[in-house]
Amino acid sequence: MASILKPSMRAAETNICRQCFRLQARRNITSISTQNPKSEIRSRSNNISSTTRPSQAVRARPILTKQNARPFSSTPPACAYKTIEEAKARTKIGPFSWQAGVLFLLAGAGLTVYFRYEKARMARARVAEANKGVGKPLVGGPFHLTDMHGREFTEQDLKGKYSLVYFGFTHCPDICPEELDKMAGMIDIVREKYGDVLKPVFISCDPARDTPEVMRRYLVDFHKDILGMTGTWQEVKDVCRAYRVYFSTPPDVQPGQDYLVDHSIYFYLMDPEGDFVEAIGRNFTVEAAGRVIGDHVADWRGKIEK
Amino acid sequence: MGWFSESPSHAAPEPCKDGGYIAPDRSARQQCWDGRDAFFQCLDRHDIIDSVKEPEKARKACAPELKAFEGACAESWVTYFKKRRVFEHQKEQTMKKLAAEGAQPLDSATAASAAALKGR
Repeated sequence: MASILKPSMRAAETNICRQCFRLQARRNITSISTQNPKSEIRSRSNNISSTTRPSQAVRARPILTKQNARPFSSTPPACAYKTIEEAKARTKIGPFSWQAGVLFLLAGAGLTVYFRYEKARMARARVAEANKGVGKPLVGGPFHLTDMHGREFTEQDLKGKYSLVYFGFTHCPDICPEELDKMAGMIDIVREKYGDVLKPVFISCDPARDTPEVMRRYLVDFHKDILGMTGTWQEVKDVCRAYRVYFSTPPDVQPGQDYLVDHSIYFYLMDPEGDFVEAIGRNFTVEAAGRVIGDHVADWRGKIEK
Repeated sequence: MGWFSESPSHAAPEPCKDGGYIAPDRSARQQCWDGRDAFFQCLDRHDIIDSVKEPEKARKACAPELKAFEGACAESWVTYFKKRRVFEHQKEQTMKKLAAEGAQPLDSATAASAAALKGR
């Protein structure tokens, strides 16, 4: 709409200007022949509507009467008609007066401004919509668990430092122990270079067997910094859903039953504000993973509790 | 096979005071892994890949190793490792087949192309 309006507006504008310019140019030519060009130039730069100059007054006479007939007109003498024919031609174009032109331009400009604003607003809304779930973390979120010392632990307790979150279970045959050994290596690499900036967390996917006591005894084998976490089956289910972790513990296992838990194996790196940064998979060596974490720690411009 | 096994796995979950079950510690895990490795080496010697599908054949060929393996690990672990052996074997075969067809692993492929560019 605005784009259609614009060219036609511009055409009208140039048309009006061209008309004025032509009239003015014609007047200049006549004035050069009748009087001092210097004063003519000065009069133009001073004020177009000054009608005190004798030459202009003389020339303006034929249309001055016409102007008086139209009291609300303030057409400058620069745009005055020279002959009756010209005046007739002017009336012939009918409603296309300069007021109409100005109105048209104003309306056009208003519409253009409005449409531009609306277009920008729609674009912003589209971007905001597209970033929903991109800007905010898809991984992580509120949870409620019990740590291996029997204390409550929520997502708020992860904040302040970078945190490295790993999901597993203590009766895990080979992968979890290997990964936890790697985790211990990463913790040492990061600590050596950046100090105490990392909070490593091990969340159990097997709440039926992994009580705080079991977690504490299990983690002694790995690293003193790793904080074990467990909860009710529903709490574990909720935290796994928040971290997009798949796990397959049946909710109603018998005491002492021997089973394995199938679960996703990633380290989740979260920043000091609790937002997800990166997932570190099994393909990372201890050194590579330590470097990745270290780079993020170095990039962090905010505060890290030490 | 645990039901019919003459040697029940002694590594049954140990109850914990607060209702949980103590997991094998590092040394227990190592014992289990050693038992597994010995059993698998025996299977290798007898060209047996799948000891889940051919339990009798495996038991006949590697009876002492299997007994030690089952004694050192929980039953779920024994089954898991046996299945994993089959999976690893299949993976290896697939990789070999792909390599024979001229496929290159992703990492070395990029390294090779980088080397080729350098050579030019």
